[in-house]
Amino acid sequence: MDYKAGICNFCGTGCGHLLKMKDGRVDGVFVSQNHPVSKGRLCVRGWHMHELLRTEERITSPMIRRNGVLEKVSLDEALGYISDKISKDIKNPAEELAFLASPRSSNEDGYLLMKLARSVFKTNNISIDSESGHRNSINVLHRGTGMAGMLGSLEEIEKAEFILVVGTDITKQNPIVGSEIHKAGLRGAQVVTICSRESQIAKLSKKFIQVKPGTKKIAIAAMAKTIIEDTLYDNDFVKKHTEGLDGFANALGALKDEDIPALTGVESEVIKAVARDLVKAKTAMVFFSSGISGLDEDTISYIYNLFLLAGKVGKEGCGVNPITGICNLQGSYDMGLAPDLMTGYQPLADSAVIKKFNTAWKTDLNDKPGKGVYDLLRDGSSKLKALFIVDHDESIVRFSKEMKSLDLIVYFGAFENSFTDYAHVVIPTASYVEYDGTYTNTERRVQLSSKKADGDKNIQAAWKIYAALAAKKGANWNYASASDVMAEIARLTDTYSGISYAKFTGLGGLKWPCDDKHPGGTARLDIAGMKGALKFVAVSGTYAVKKAQDQNPFLLMMGQGQHFWHQNNIMKRTFIPKREYNATLLLYPRGYVEICPEDAKKIEVRDKWPVKVVSAHGSMQVAVKVTGDVKPGTAYVPYFIQDMISEFLLEHKEIIDQGENAIIPVKIEKV
Amino acid sequence: MYLINKNDVKKIAEELSKSYAVYGPVVEKESGQTFFEKVASMDEIDLGAPIPSMPPKGIVFPQIESIMTHSYNRETKEAKVKAEFGPEPKALFGLRSCDLTGIMCLDRFMMGQEYVDEVYLAHRKKMFIVTNTCAIPFKQCFCVCTDSGPSAKEGYDLNLTLIDDKYLVEVGSEKGQKLVDSLGLQKAPDDYVGKKQTVVDESIERFEIISTDNKAWISRAMNRMTTGFVKPEIWEYIGNQCFECGACSFVCPSCSCFNIEDVNRPDHSVVRLRAWDSCSFEGYTRMAGDHNPRKPVEDRRNKRFFCKLSYSQSKKYLRPGCVGCGRCAWVCPGDIGLPNVVTYIRREITG
Repeated sequence: MDYKAGICNFCGTGCGHLLKMKDGRVDGVFVSQNHPVSKGRLCVRGWHMHELLRTEERITSPMIRRNGVLEKVSLDEALGYISDKISKDIKNPAEELAFLASPRSSNEDGYLLMKLARSVFKTNNISIDSESGHRNSINVLHRGTGMAGMLGSLEEIEKAEFILVVGTDITKQNPIVGSEIHKAGLRGAQVVTICSRESQIAKLSKKFIQVKPGTKKIAIAAMAKTIIEDTLYDNDFVKKHTEGLDGFANALGALKDEDIPALTGVESEVIKAVARDLVKAKTAMVFFSSGISGLDEDTISYIYNLFLLAGKVGKEGCGVNPITGICNLQGSYDMGLAPDLMTGYQPLADSAVIKKFNTAWKTDLNDKPGKGVYDLLRDGSSKLKALFIVDHDESIVRFSKEMKSLDLIVYFGAFENSFTDYAHVVIPTASYVEYDGTYTNTERRVQLSSKKADGDKNIQAAWKIYAALAAKKGANWNYASASDVMAEIARLTDTYSGISYAKFTGLGGLKWPCDDKHPGGTARLDIAGMKGALKFVAVSGTYAVKKAQDQNPFLLMMGQGQHFWHQNNIMKRTFIPKREYNATLLLYPRGYVEICPEDAKKIEVRDKWPVKVVSAHGSMQVAVKVTGDVKPGTAYVPYFIQDMISEFLLEHKEIIDQGENAIIPVKIEKV
Repeated sequence: MYLINKNDVKKIAEELSKSYAVYGPVVEKESGQTFFEKVASMDEIDLGAPIPSMPPKGIVFPQIESIMTHSYNRETKEAKVKAEFGPEPKALFGLRSCDLTGIMCLDRFMMGQEYVDEVYLAHRKKMFIVTNTCAIPFKQCFCVCTDSGPSAKEGYDLNLTLIDDKYLVEVGSEKGQKLVDSLGLQKAPDDYVGKKQTVVDESIERFEIISTDNKAWISRAMNRMTTGFVKPEIWEYIGNQCFECGACSFVCPSCSCFNIEDVNRPDHSVVRLRAWDSCSFEGYTRMAGDHNPRKPVEDRRNKRFFCKLSYSQSKKYLRPGCVGCGRCAWVCPGDIGLPNVVTYIRREITG
């Protein structure tokens, strides 16, 4: 019998699975009944992990582009080429060199890439690809509590009496988290969804509040206002543990009761009733997605403040819970894959932090924060010349024109994808089951994924390749194993200080903060162990909403889907999810826009008929999908079709960065 | 009827291992989970292990398997096609009655109709089956309602029942008789018929009340489904809870949906794979010209429940398609495993 316990690495839920091995290769995937997160369940993606892991469509050799063609070379030659080229061409790395890291890399891979960028190549321009919306969540939570991660625990969902789901199509994006919420609802928890589209979780909720697009923040603010005005909050808790309530209360002043129905499309009384239920419940959790379709920082601040006000943080069955979309998105931030952060949310600009890392790494770091890769590409005046890219799992290349003008693009990855067309050097890396690595799920759970398959002996783990590249530049890192890398992370990072490979026994890993005080990890925010009080965070206090205009009467919103999850390369290497994706493509080859039957009648179209969607910035031609899931005046596009994204959505760059609250007023016409 | 000492029961497996690859219930150490798997040593087999997390379906119908390769040589303009299956003879030792029933359903689907599935046949040929009566059912078990347990009635070569410190060995085939003879087992006294019945009766007593207090628990729901009396609202209520993961089909001992995929290999040959599929996926029923007879999720979900519980399907299987193992209830993210579906349908009858 050859079954190996492992963790699924599609989304950020961190489910356990068992891989069946045959002749050193993955041959099947099965549920892990005793895993604390997934408890014997997997979603459609997880059930087809083996199809991806047994694919032979891998990058098999390092390659250098010569005369426009990628030629196979040895790893040593490829690394030498990169090292020489950068020494020769890059004079000012802080401006000319950048690293696009992957939220899919293990913590050890991410950490060493960060170390490579900052200490060897002397640039702080490092950011992670896609899903950067999670930064909004951790910023707010860190500001309020000092903990830059989910405050609650997935295992405690079953203990929540009240569950608020804001926006996210969670049963499609993180199905097993959605399952836990649904099951809590079946056991009697009050599940309330606030969303502009009737998603599956909305259908499964006890209450569904269908707000107008872009007004979730107002609904949340209205709840907080009710709690303050009717003094429903737990005064003892607020007095004892928090500070800054007055500031928050003042910021709510600008929201007038009588405006709420017009702004949100929902009667005030409906929202007030939910607020009362929240306060009345002994335990409560809130979930929102934290990624490319996540919320903006202001909305998250309102959500956090609301839950602080209701006293629903730091207790069992409570928490403010952003849900990450990719396996190691949380871990990527923990590993300092951001222009301004070192590991464990330590600011680069802090002199004590710089000193600590300089001593440990025997180097001299630049304390000036860098810039995100997409910011550099977007900025016409940037001097960017060379870019390192790791495991880009989306098939759509943003800023392709700007990418083409770079002198050097180095791509590291296990699978071929659209980035290899742009790369000057391609370096294959082992897939995640071929070496040891840890991954941190959405609830701060650090789990070890041990080596299970042998893989091609010429293809190494990414962290080993980074170490070899560092050695080319004269840095001798001397890690014998991934465990050594984790030991260094633990030495330099308070939240990870108690984590070591030796402690990973059994299923389920350890949840940070894992330190002297919490040697077995921490289930949820530990209020007693905090240095200061919990803070109400600053909010905008403005409640203007984008309205549809006469010429653009529809408000267009966007979201993610299940089979076309992240429109990525990875799902296309499976069989069943790929077929499901193709089934959607066959029905709607150029993508679709959802509108309601009343609107379809008005513009005289039927399901699958082509329409033209026009905004102030551009237009696209897609099919309509007529559905009762959206309200009149609202339109929804799933984020997955290349033309739709590159020709239309990406033209609205600033709007897209607002994530789930990104609303584009459009006109929809029959073609 | 023969007897063998409890401590000697693995001698049967030892004997089988001379001519077969032996499969049995094994507890995987790291996860603590039971699998019905091929064993290298008979010591690995644990007849007291909990119900395997996956049915033994994968032994005759693997999650993914290559069944054929083909390649084309441009120079000689020749195409080569090669069938790629020819599994070894297998013995299943310590199979539960529900899981045996699952294999029998698969037999009828794969071999009992006008078309005989060659690949399945190759797996199934020369198989030796030793079942083991379940003395202690698990929480999710309801085989008493689907006529598939707790003790196997047909389809085995040998059936074991633990009675005190001895296993009663019942013979179901000539192959089984030969094995018993070669081991020289002693005949069981006649009173073991009654003793076995007591074990079975006690086992039934231990089932959850829902599956024993009303023997028509499932059959009433079957009747309701077949005659089309289940209200659309009930199907919608069930459909809304479907997360479309396919898990119910994958863990079902009798689900036989599969997909065929031709995969290009780096050497330009093509390997044809067969992999588990589920009728609950939208792409499963899509036909040319975009026609899909089962577009909404509740329609697709219904299809699976009809396959398990309607009379027309039961005629095909010669029994209900559901074998009462309850695994679908374990793995369902939406909580619509078959027992819950039956409950929702019955709620309509009983209010």
